[in-house]
Amino acid sequence: MNTNYFLIDYFNESPSIIQVAWSISVVFFIIIIPLILYLKFLRGHLRKKERVTAELENDYESSLINYLYSGNEEEEISAEQQVIINQLKECIKDPFRRKILIGVLLKLKNEISGEIAESIHKLYFHTGLVNFALSRLKHEKWFVIAKGIRELKQFHVKEAHDEVIVHINHPRREVRKEMQLYMVNLFYFEGLDFLDVLETPLSEWDQIQLLEVLQRMENQNISNIKSWLNSSNDSVIIFALKLAKIYNQFEAKDELINLLHHINKKIRLESIHVLSYLNALEAKEILKNNIEERSPEEQIAFFKMMEDLYEQTDESFVVKYIHHEIFEIKVSTLKILKVLNRERFNLLKFESSEPKFLRIVNFIENN
Amino acid sequence: MSDAKKIVLAEDNSIFLLLLKFRLEKEGYKILTAVDGKEAIDLIEEHSPELILTDIMMPFISGLEVISHVRNKLNMKTPIIVFSSAGQEEIVLKAFDLGATDFMSKPLSPNELVIRVKRLLR
Repeated sequence: MNTNYFLIDYFNESPSIIQVAWSISVVFFIIIIPLILYLKFLRGHLRKKERVTAELENDYESSLINYLYSGNEEEEISAEQQVIINQLKECIKDPFRRKILIGVLLKLKNEISGEIAESIHKLYFHTGLVNFALSRLKHEKWFVIAKGIRELKQFHVKEAHDEVIVHINHPRREVRKEMQLYMVNLFYFEGLDFLDVLETPLSEWDQIQLLEVLQRMENQNISNIKSWLNSSNDSVIIFALKLAKIYNQFEAKDELINLLHHINKKIRLESIHVLSYLNALEAKEILKNNIEERSPEEQIAFFKMMEDLYEQTDESFVVKYIHHEIFEIKVSTLKILKVLNRERFNLLKFESSEPKFLRIVNFIENN
Repeated sequence: MSDAKKIVLAEDNSIFLLLLKFRLEKEGYKILTAVDGKEAIDLIEEHSPELILTDIMMPFISGLEVISHVRNKLNMKTPIIVFSSAGQEEIVLKAFDLGATDFMSKPLSPNELVIRVKRLLR
């Protein structure tokens, strides 16, 4: 009792700063103790969860291996397999166990091909896991839908096509991305048909992911891209231009040439690059006629194109631009002139006294 | 079973390891499993297997280091089949430079693996 009085007296008689320091210390102590207890509980809980997860994983791995090796050629599903399916059906009623089982199935499915991969696919259907994934597609939360689509893609559930494509213009980018990847991974180039009705923008990252999937496919027979080059969605046109370049779509040349007059500058510019890559001489003539009206970027792209597609008759046209104010155009035209008429090119050194221009001429002469 | 040919199988994916182990045991081989490169090297040194199957990407010691150890340190001519994933083509070339005998690209067919194993152990 005396100690308590002594402490209270000590506190009351202490300077204000000491009182504040003691008060803060007490507050921190009161906060820290429950936090430490909570962290201890959390760590214990996580460790327990980790242990349970590892045990369940082991159980499911053993069940899966037993399932895969207990089949026979006479029956689609043997009696032994049916027992395992029934056990798993019970387990997946619990979302936590279901998640672990899906993880185990994917862990093996990603490493294996042939009959065993088909067996895993069948198991996914027979256990009813597919129904859980399909039910996620109708969920109100966007991330649940995205996860559902991803799972259907990972298990190659082609049957869910109609339910997945409903999300083509979903407000969330993540859902749209999963939908697009599902289509392309499962239906290859035919899966790109979603581009016909896509109203939302296809981001650069989405395009890269789609192209990456397409290039991994064994079947490289691309479907007709003409309708996408005429799309009202600019990002679809940009993507179709990439496809035209990668898959040498020379048959879409007319549509590509039409894009030279598109309202969007980026599309006009990309179409010049693609037409240049495809060596479309008609495009060169069209651009020659109205190059002055085009943006500097388009002019530069056009003269880059000329470097590959020049003809003898282009000399007079090229000469007009050798003193152009844009450096890239100057360089391109000088390169072309050097090949078309070496004598005329050599004369430039004597005709001009401008040091910068002469440096460019000398550089091109020696390279 | 004592005459069974020994195979060291190194793979960090536990279920894939289990699947291949069962499949190869069904064919009459004795399978010694390792979940990382370090365990694989210990098993190889201890048992001198007739064949080594190893994944390339493994914790602690990679499949490449296992090959290098077998060929350069242990001077063993044991055939080695490596498992690679898509996009690891350059690593597969390195594996061949180090002395790998064959490679299989994941996802792989266990039946095809058995054919290759049988051919190498004929």
